Amino acid sequence: MKIVACCKVVPDEELIQVLSSRELSLDGVPAKISQYDLNALEAGKKLSAGAGNTLTALSIGGKTFLEPTKIRKDILSRGADDLKLVIDDSVTFDDSLQTARAIAAAVREIGDADLILCGTGSSDLYAQVTGIQVGALLGYPTVNNVTDIRVVDAGTVEVERTLENSVETFSVPLPAVLSVSSEINTPGVPAMRDIMRAGKKPVAVLAAPGDNAASADILSQLAPEQQERRQEIIEGDNEEAVDKLVAFLRKEVL
Amino acid sequence: MALTSIYVISDTAAAFPELCAGAKQLAGSVTAIVFGDLAAAEAAAGCGADRILFCPVSDAGSPEDYAAAIAAEVKKDASAYVIVNNTILGRAIAGKVGVYLDAAVFSNVSELAEENGRLAFSRTVYGGAAARRIAFTTPYGVVTVGGGTFEMGAPLPATTQIAQIEGEPAAPLNRISRDEKRETAVNLTAARRIVDVGRGLAKEEDLEICRKLASVLDAEVGCSRPVAENNKWLPKNVYMGITGVQVKPDLLLAIGLSGQIQHIGGINKSRFIVAVNKDKSAPIFKSADFGLVGDLYKVLPLLIEKLS
Repeated sequence: MKIVACCKVVPDEELIQVLSSRELSLDGVPAKISQYDLNALEAGKKLSAGAGNTLTALSIGGKTFLEPTKIRKDILSRGADDLKLVIDDSVTFDDSLQTARAIAAAVREIGDADLILCGTGSSDLYAQVTGIQVGALLGYPTVNNVTDIRVVDAGTVEVERTLENSVETFSVPLPAVLSVSSEINTPGVPAMRDIMRAGKKPVAVLAAPGDNAASADILSQLAPEQQERRQEIIEGDNEEAVDKLVAFLRKEVL
Repeated sequence: MALTSIYVISDTAAAFPELCAGAKQLAGSVTAIVFGDLAAAEAAAGCGADRILFCPVSDAGSPEDYAAAIAAEVKKDASAYVIVNNTILGRAIAGKVGVYLDAAVFSNVSELAEENGRLAFSRTVYGGAAARRIAFTTPYGVVTVGGGTFEMGAPLPATTQIAQIEGEPAAPLNRISRDEKRETAVNLTAARRIVDVGRGLAKEEDLEICRKLASVLDAEVGCSRPVAENNKWLPKNVYMGITGVQVKPDLLLAIGLSGQIQHIGGINKSRFIVAVNKDKSAPIFKSADFGLVGDLYKVLPLLIEKLS
């Protein structure tokens, strides 16, 4: 089986600086693999174990994210045999359809993929619909929030989707696009051996789709206004300190 | 100037009144898309929509199989927006309908408004670091909206314009089984008090002290993402944050919680936030009304004793 696992490279949101204007400063913020895409890579690694299977990692985005060898090695240390990149600074990938179009075009170019895996949503935009849109664009069956994938035969997988109140199982003919839930696995930490090998794996840059217009304008982007909090902070874990905490709770809440 | 037309889609009947009330404030014409038979459509007649189209999903079928038929219906209007309830199934429907309308989907949006004839809205990005204001530039657009986003309006007369959608399910998914979830559902969004457990807890057994504290406070127990996803000490449906549950209790008592930005994004609508953490520099204290810098293993037993 030929598997493609999609993973987005994003700025580490915990390290984004908020300026006094409430605008964000993304300059110099380290890049990372989007949290939930680690689950897609891990699912791909598990499914591709065994002879005859291959796992290609696919990432799409701008130069600053995808050119550094450090991040490429990071992706490749997580089970993929090779890495395909679409590097496109002409598109901001701020909407789900732009990203989905680029992924769908890349999957067509890669060719013969049986299974395309995505994460639940990216750490930066968390649209949670890109995988579904890729499936619809390619005309493949597509399922989101997948919590289990079992290979039935060369052309079929059994897929479990966990909804808010129920669990469904589908028989899905391949090729298919599945967005996996973070519950599906616990991504492993790459071993030193995997990190060493990652540098030797092939990386190829694919063409970006020519026409990929955005569906929307961004009118503004500001940090949320800091909610006023009283910040009455006391130090101590003795009875006196706890009494103060109890006094606060009794006065304000209880 | 109001928008011309909005289609409201939901996989749960309970979401229609709020979504239709919101849509009605934005657009001249509101169409509700109901999954079920004529009886289900009639049961939803009072939801506030001007008309209802129903998709008779078969027992083996899934609502998203109707995505192409829904998009074809939406395209009968020269321009229209689609509002879908923000559930897992809702997002699957939204994603497909979006592709057939050649439009992006923006999930979990709020503050929807008509701006210069277009649908504008806000959504949180970068794990809570910022809110983006966005407006569609395409004739069609799809958003998903969670509960509590719109004000409920006055009850509207039930519509009599009910019809079955044209078209058939296309390329249906083949479901072979469906089971109710066994785990008990905890509704943190409705909780008035929450004990919020972070990674400062040393081991899983220590959850017992947190449960005890919750019991004396008549509170529910929730947690941060790593406690649910990495440690798997609590179910995933009780972790709070931008990618988890967003809550607004009267009291949120954060225990051994560092206060990462994506977690704060899920709890910052709480009326009071109280934090206990031994690390004086933990970011949670900046978001707390009252903070105790101390060892939770000393504080909690005393606190439970005094509140009992």
